[in-house]
Amino acid sequence: MITSMHYKPMIVALGVFIGAFPEHRAIAAEDCSAASSECVAVGHWNVEIELGGGVRTNPLVGGENIPLVLIPHISYYGRRFFLDDLDVGFTIADTGSNTFNLVASPGYDRVYFYRSDLQNIFVIGYSPVDGAATTYHAVDPATPGAMQFSNRPRRVTYLAGPEWTFKYAAVTGQLDFLHEITGQNHGNEIRAALSVPLIQKHGVLSGSLGITWNSAAIVNYYYGEDAIYQGGSALNPFVKLGYTLPLSDKWRLNAFTEFERLGDAIANSPIVAEHHVATSFVGFIYSF
Amino acid sequence: MRTVATAAIDAGHEDIRLELSPRICTLGVHDRQCETRVHASWHAPHEESLCLVIVGRPEIKQCWENYSEGVATIELVFADDLVFQLKDLDLQQVLASEALRVIREAIQYRHKRRQPWNVFD
Repeated sequence: MITSMHYKPMIVALGVFIGAFPEHRAIAAEDCSAASSECVAVGHWNVEIELGGGVRTNPLVGGENIPLVLIPHISYYGRRFFLDDLDVGFTIADTGSNTFNLVASPGYDRVYFYRSDLQNIFVIGYSPVDGAATTYHAVDPATPGAMQFSNRPRRVTYLAGPEWTFKYAAVTGQLDFLHEITGQNHGNEIRAALSVPLIQKHGVLSGSLGITWNSAAIVNYYYGEDAIYQGGSALNPFVKLGYTLPLSDKWRLNAFTEFERLGDAIANSPIVAEHHVATSFVGFIYSF
Repeated sequence: MRTVATAAIDAGHEDIRLELSPRICTLGVHDRQCETRVHASWHAPHEESLCLVIVGRPEIKQCWENYSEGVATIELVFADDLVFQLKDLDLQQVLASEALRVIREAIQYRHKRRQPWNVFD
């Protein structure tokens, strides 16, 4: 159950963020007549390859950091239907500055448990090691303080629900209310973020802040352990800086760094060693 | 905006024929400009002295003296219509004119999904 208490930080963040740009209160009305950072052609596939170097830390005990080398992006937009990497969606309404979608998106946390997770193959791209991204070493059960963890699987899940995105002056926002639909944990998740360009000379430097809220069902599906640990819901805030510099029609430089703080319900799990996840990448994007 | 010039052909030179290949360049959804090799050929019933030029591209000029036909091959990059002209050697009179047209694929656009939550967006 999602309570109003969980909405509060998000609403406050939204108000503070938009309030920081009082001179841009007018709704930006943009129509799409050409391809741009905001607009895309209907009925065409868009393929990009991002090549560079980076890493995402793995917060699990014994978790190996996830290398970022090759990041493919594939999308297709119909008049209403869209495919965006591993997400699929249907646009219910698009007023230009506000868009309402129904989306389905894979559960995210599995990336820490399986290097072979689709999100690591598809989004991270390079997967030198198949199988588990986290290895556990058995110890003698007689060892004082030793706890036995089952090596239970965390299956691929999909979450689906409504999504609101908007462009309010310079601020871009996204708010998703998702429910797990693949019958693994029946949990809920909220994804929310705001992004604003900070510098627009010689490329665009943008800053983002957001949250991921996981219900207890999702937290325990990934991080819980029967008779050892059961957590509650978790609020995971993040900040991100991204920089993009067009180099030619086909190439652009891209760099970003993101820092996410895991909620206590996740960080307190005995299989989690780190309270934070950091992701950084610098590379070049080629658009086909 | 199309830039097709409608140059009048001077009287007495109506029989000079200018042909282009290709005559049309079609831009796809991901194309911003045409990059192609253009063959321009001309024929006249009598020997002529003339130059082949492209409107708005003064760097391109090829001339013939006392020929009844000629062929030019030019590598071109362009985003809008190009008008090829045959002119006298003084570049005063237009003897023949032909356009190489740019056609853009009829494309409908929509808003891309905004995804500030996505770490890679």
